[in-house]
Amino acid sequence: MIPALTLLGTVAADAAGSLSSIAPAITGAGTPAVSSGAPADFGSVLAQVTGDAVDKLKAGEATSISGLQGKASVQEVAKSVLDAQQSLQTAVAVRDKVVSAYQEVSRMAI
Amino acid sequence: MIDPIEAAIDVATSGLEAHSTRMRVISENLANAESTASTPGANPYTRKTVSFEDEMDQASGADLVKVKAIGVDRSPYRVEYDPGNPAADANGFVKLPNVNLITEMADMREANRSYSANIQVVKQARELFTMTVDLMRNS
Repeated sequence: MIPALTLLGTVAADAAGSLSSIAPAITGAGTPAVSSGAPADFGSVLAQVTGDAVDKLKAGEATSISGLQGKASVQEVAKSVLDAQQSLQTAVAVRDKVVSAYQEVSRMAI
Repeated sequence: MIDPIEAAIDVATSGLEAHSTRMRVISENLANAESTASTPGANPYTRKTVSFEDEMDQASGADLVKVKAIGVDRSPYRVEYDPGNPAADANGFVKLPNVNLITEMADMREANRSYSANIQVVKQARELFTMTVDLMRNS
């Protein structure tokens, strides 16, 4: 599950990377609407979100295991599993959005 | 800066842990309500109390709750005349724990309610989070 997600994130990040290199060429003006504090490349932001999700998933699994071994309280297990679920949901939603944006651009009639 | 909704979940989780500790202490009091001393005339089990305090979480800046101390109740023990009891003193009186079952039951109900309230906070915060993430999905 985790390697698949990583792969997915990399693919999506690559897609976003190529997208951000295409988009300015198409639109011409092409100043990206990213605020100054954030990383310039949207692909790296996506990679960061995916990495965060993977980290949370790993933490969730580790806590579940220590919960089964009786080392973690049920509250801790529930919290870290829910954390992981939230991060996964967010990463999937962002990925869906990016992929659909990429498809939108690639379908554009030239 | 951490997401306020996630901070709310963190705070509620700390409440869950604090109140489960409280539940544990109440169960100790209930289970030991009749525990006498092992030597004649000595003090029996003493009722334990729980107090909470707030604790600043450095990452989110939110005030978590944690168990401050598990103290002892200094109210007097119940004394019963029971010369046959191994823990009875020279005059035949036995000291019994200062645990009142009614008080413990009320305490337990309160811990239960607080725990449920924190669970509701987690549920609501998660719902808000999911709703916000769902905004990104194609409708």
